[in-house]
Amino acid sequence: MVNVMKGILVECDPAMKQFLLHLDETEALGKKFVIQDLDETHLFVAVEILPILRERIDDLMDKLSFPLVEK
Amino acid sequence: MGGNKRDKKDKEERRSKKYKSELDLPSYDVDDDSQEVDTKSGIPEAATRQVTETSQEDEFGAKDYRKILELKLDHTSRPLWVAPDGHIFLEAFSPVYKHAHEFLIAISEPVCRPSHIHEYKLTAYSLYAAVSVGLETKDIIEYLRRLCKTSLPIGIEEFIKLCTLSYGKVKLVLKRNKYYVESQHAEVIQKMLKDPVIQECRLRAEMEDSTDGGGDKLIQETFTKPSSILFNRPSQPQSLPVSSSAPNLLSQVPGPSDEAATKSTENGTEAVPSDIFDYYDKLDNDDDEGEDMKTVSFEVRQDRIEDIQKRCIELEYPLLAEYDFRNDTVNPDINIDLKPSAVLRPYQEKSLRKMFGNGRARSGVIVLPCGAGKTLVGVTAACTVRKRCLCLATSGVAVEQWRSQFKMWSTADDSMICRFTSDAKDKPIGCDICISTYSMLAHSTKRSWEAERVMEWMQSQEWGIMVLDEVQTIPAKMFRRVLTIVNAHCKLGLTATLVREDDKIADLNFLIGPKLYEANWMELQNLGYIARVQCAEVWCPMTPEFYREYLTTKQQRKLLLYAMNPNKFQACQFLIRYHERRNDKIIVFSDNVFALKNYAIKLNKPYLYGPTSQGERLQILQNFQHNPKVNTIFVSKVADTSFDLPEANVLIQISAHGGSRRQEAQRLGRILRAKKGAVAEEYNAFFYSLVSQDTMEMQYSLKRQRFLVNQGYSYKVITKLAGMEQEELAYRSKEDQAQLLQKVIGATDQDAEEERLIGDPSAIGRKVGSMSSMSGADDAVYMEFNRKSGANKRLHPLFKKFRK
Amino acid sequence: MHQEAAILEIIRIARSLFLQNRSRMAALLSTKTLDCKDLHGYLKTLSSYTLDRLYNHPATCLAVFRELPQLAKHYIMRLLLIDQPVSQAVIGLWANNKYINDHRRAVQALTDLRIWYEKPLPGGMQGRMVNATFKANMKTALLGGGKPWTGRGGGVLPPDKNSRDVEFLDKYALERWECVLHFMVGSTEGADGVSRDTIEVLKHSGLMKVEEGDPVPYITPAGFQFLLMDTGSQVWYFILQYLDMTDSRGLDLVECLSLMFQLSFSTLGKDYSTEGMSDGQSRFLQHLREFGLVYQRKRKEKRYYPTRLAINLASGLSGIVTDSHRQGYIVVETNYRLYAYTESSLNIALLALFSEMLYRFPNMAVANLTRDSVRAALIRGITAEQIISFLKSHAHSEMVKQTPSLPPTIVDQVRLWELERDRFKFDDGVLYSQFLSQADFEKLRDFAKEQGVLVWDNTNKRVMVVSRAGHDSVKRFWKQQKNS
Repeated sequence: MVNVMKGILVECDPAMKQFLLHLDETEALGKKFVIQDLDETHLFVAVEILPILRERIDDLMDKLSFPLVEK
Repeated sequence: MGGNKRDKKDKEERRSKKYKSELDLPSYDVDDDSQEVDTKSGIPEAATRQVTETSQEDEFGAKDYRKILELKLDHTSRPLWVAPDGHIFLEAFSPVYKHAHEFLIAISEPVCRPSHIHEYKLTAYSLYAAVSVGLETKDIIEYLRRLCKTSLPIGIEEFIKLCTLSYGKVKLVLKRNKYYVESQHAEVIQKMLKDPVIQECRLRAEMEDSTDGGGDKLIQETFTKPSSILFNRPSQPQSLPVSSSAPNLLSQVPGPSDEAATKSTENGTEAVPSDIFDYYDKLDNDDDEGEDMKTVSFEVRQDRIEDIQKRCIELEYPLLAEYDFRNDTVNPDINIDLKPSAVLRPYQEKSLRKMFGNGRARSGVIVLPCGAGKTLVGVTAACTVRKRCLCLATSGVAVEQWRSQFKMWSTADDSMICRFTSDAKDKPIGCDICISTYSMLAHSTKRSWEAERVMEWMQSQEWGIMVLDEVQTIPAKMFRRVLTIVNAHCKLGLTATLVREDDKIADLNFLIGPKLYEANWMELQNLGYIARVQCAEVWCPMTPEFYREYLTTKQQRKLLLYAMNPNKFQACQFLIRYHERRNDKIIVFSDNVFALKNYAIKLNKPYLYGPTSQGERLQILQNFQHNPKVNTIFVSKVADTSFDLPEANVLIQISAHGGSRRQEAQRLGRILRAKKGAVAEEYNAFFYSLVSQDTMEMQYSLKRQRFLVNQGYSYKVITKLAGMEQEELAYRSKEDQAQLLQKVIGATDQDAEEERLIGDPSAIGRKVGSMSSMSGADDAVYMEFNRKSGANKRLHPLFKKFRK
Repeated sequence: MHQEAAILEIIRIARSLFLQNRSRMAALLSTKTLDCKDLHGYLKTLSSYTLDRLYNHPATCLAVFRELPQLAKHYIMRLLLIDQPVSQAVIGLWANNKYINDHRRAVQALTDLRIWYEKPLPGGMQGRMVNATFKANMKTALLGGGKPWTGRGGGVLPPDKNSRDVEFLDKYALERWECVLHFMVGSTEGADGVSRDTIEVLKHSGLMKVEEGDPVPYITPAGFQFLLMDTGSQVWYFILQYLDMTDSRGLDLVECLSLMFQLSFSTLGKDYSTEGMSDGQSRFLQHLREFGLVYQRKRKEKRYYPTRLAINLASGLSGIVTDSHRQGYIVVETNYRLYAYTESSLNIALLALFSEMLYRFPNMAVANLTRDSVRAALIRGITAEQIISFLKSHAHSEMVKQTPSLPPTIVDQVRLWELERDRFKFDDGVLYSQFLSQADFEKLRDFAKEQGVLVWDNTNKRVMVVSRAGHDSVKRFWKQQKNS
């Protein structure tokens, strides 16, 4: 027997992987989406989550930045 | 791009952010600009004015002035653009730069001054300052018109008139110990005298009162404008030789900068349009020439000074305070002069000329970068006024420094200088120069019997000059209290970072006086007066374990995780090692005490923070300065304003106070003192800010940098420290990291906070909607710590309220 | 700072890594870096028949020769006057072993361009022979003879009453060319002079696109990248696209190319006659006129002036930067400020692609480089490198005085903003897990690996991920295994 699942392979740095796991555990995107935690830098996630996930990542990056110039 | 398409894409990009992130701003994000200004009264209405403009926008959303402004034919030889909204852009590479920039400093606020094009902004306040250093409305407009590449926007002309016509016209002068309201404009005086409140405040000569109308007679005077003050000119020239190494200390002799300007115009006469050059000459010399002036004045009842000042502000004729110390025969002179060895740098002299330009002492603020010699400016001012002097600093350590600087630069000795602090055993009563701290004067709790006597004496004195160090750190409230206690003829504020919030006028500036001078950091750096600093932001990735904890832990504990990030620790350790090998002197700053202790103990370095006793502090500092084996010290934010560490040339910041731009600038100042014989290297000082990646620290860091970036500094982002892999560093193994994490998790909530010092408003959580202060006087009144009281454990009541 | 530089590797992003990343992302972002071929690259795409016809003119041969690798030029010079094949072994001895790679490149280039071909020697050894047409015309080019080029002598022109100087031609050329760019950015200025043919080229090349129901074409990510290239590269890219469409216009590619190569040997500021041009070439000339490659006072006039754009054209991308004669106008400050000394709305429109415009003065504009503005550009398919090179190539003379001309922190930051978008890599894939036996797992994993579709695996956990594309074949293999 073998189990076969379609999805998205995510590759990222270890800290960002923690961020995704955190989103998953807290169901911050409305549901769980991590299919399997592969290793320190890889996750396998549900296909349909991708658009929301991207948005959420952009959100994080937005938060970490601060306008360098005054208007 | 066709507007529509662009908008559409932008909208797509910025699609509604549906999810609220757990990474919202923590409550301790208090920036310099969010200080509540407690008193709006006392600020002339005009000061809150802004340039109003109606302009079109171009297809990209820019303010489009192409139709309103007409380009002059010889625009290439004129250095600036003036936008109708008050912003001014100056070409730093223009041959007319020198002429223009001196002028712009006087009439506007510098917004940013990097390498090629500088931005300034006209504000009501800056124009007020211009008037108070003697510029006149018509001159301001005319010179600006000549410097401008285009026609001058009409609104700007009106704004200048609006802001300057009523300002600076009336002065409060203290002559022979009597107060006069004086003006060169008789009509203004007449207008004021129609006001009933002012009438009440006026002192009428009883004798003349019998003859009708005689009491209304104004005092008319014609006098020759005195030539301006010569700095470092001993009062008895025959007894002390003028230092030959400083031939251009006399203000009539142009300083090097002026010489350079003249030369450049000689070489390229055609480069500077003659109308600009001529006018510049006129403006520059205006102040120095002895000329006849007619003034009209009336005497004021001494007990009504406060009232008349207040009333004049309401009438929009704020009283400029000037002190005619030369004619003050009531207060005795003190016997103090600059030593011949005290050599003023051109910018120091320039700033003092702004203060003493008309032979009297103007009150105001002088802004110089840290390490650029503010103390010498203060000492010189005191030596010029030569009246009883009060000098206020932020801490006991700073008091010691002022004292030694007075002794170094001036002829004052221990018999003349007294410290008034809780530690010092001096007897200040009757002294000529008194040095104390703001808190010592302002705090309202019960004092010792002796201190009470000193306070009484202070209150009874008429001080010639009050020098206010690090003036931006003092909240207005405390400052007011000081002002009600001390009566000084003239107030000189000194600061490195008058962080401006564009149009918002803090009362602090009105309480002291206008900004008299602001130096250009990059210029001083290029001339070698301050160190060339390489600023770097080192990105330290969070370890997965720390980041996981960071994401799940409650807001106030996040700080602990990004401060203690093992990767940051290693970066810190690596940088210390690297710089110690180069024989550098390193200061590591941490606002968080838990991190401070952990780092220092693990790395076996001395550390000092609030509770460290005075003796221990001095011992550590002395070791750091003189012991070749002690090259690194860890300090908390108590060191922000209090210590002067001339030997340090590397600064590493591991934890800072939120997004405070001022703290960043102040910290940079710790290593700015120019190093001797270090010209060979491109940089001779290093400023590292260690930032844990993907945490709020990233945002803070960018925010903190903004002030310095506007001064022309640039931060290199370092994502990888080369050679770090090869070093033996702590917390390499997962086990060690896990242990460290356990320690962090085990820390108390209190550990997770920044060090709090009494009276430190930064400990108060963010208040929504609080007003901004122009001075950035929010976060730091770093008071001395009294160990015995155990004050460090005391929680501020507001603090308790705001952070559950 | 020397020591500092030694220990602090200050974010140097390896360009190769960078491009690799980009291409991986390409599928997901549906953007790609604009592929701009050089002359060699372009000619390679032509059929051997076309090439042979092309070599029918000395100017073409000389132009092609000019762009050959150094070693290849030497080989041709040696072979030019020999009429029989020369042994490959002999040719191989012409270059020192140290330069074996240069040798290979030269051989490849000459083969690709059909300048020589393989021909066995009488003894059966492999030899090489120079293309006869190329040889004949190259000889003419070098030794003289043959028909005159580009209207020279085709009818001696009387001196021009309205003769045009270089300055005029340069100005004219840029004005015309900028009409095309203006049209692309959709600015109102100067967009009137764009013909339907030009629009067709823009659409064909993918620089612009038409959406249903909207007659006005809009710019694509490729178009944005195109705008940020220097003028020489732009013209070259554009003309290649134009040439790609000659068939549909009923033009003969070879005729056009010949004219183009002839133009490249003309002299700037000199006038030439249209005498002797074929119909197709005359039409081509009119298009070149529209783009600003040649100046002709009136359509019917028999006299034209090639501009710098045409003369530099045949050197493709390796040629001189055509923008060098234009004054740089952008000041970049360490505080992310941009000041643009320009009155051109095109220049402003280009800057606004990646910056936030604040002020417009009559001769200067002020803008901020912000994270948002740069990200907006990145989303449109513009790369960090393109932004940086645009700023660099248009740097104001005050900026050029310093080295490097751009503040390093700004360059770093623009790259960091791009990297920030590349922190995650998402790939469609299929996860295989819960294998019953280690053998099963290893068999399937090895198969996937062989097929080059394995993207991740862990032997201990018996888990593997294959690419979506490889799933079918892996699945088939698995079924076969189970059935057998």
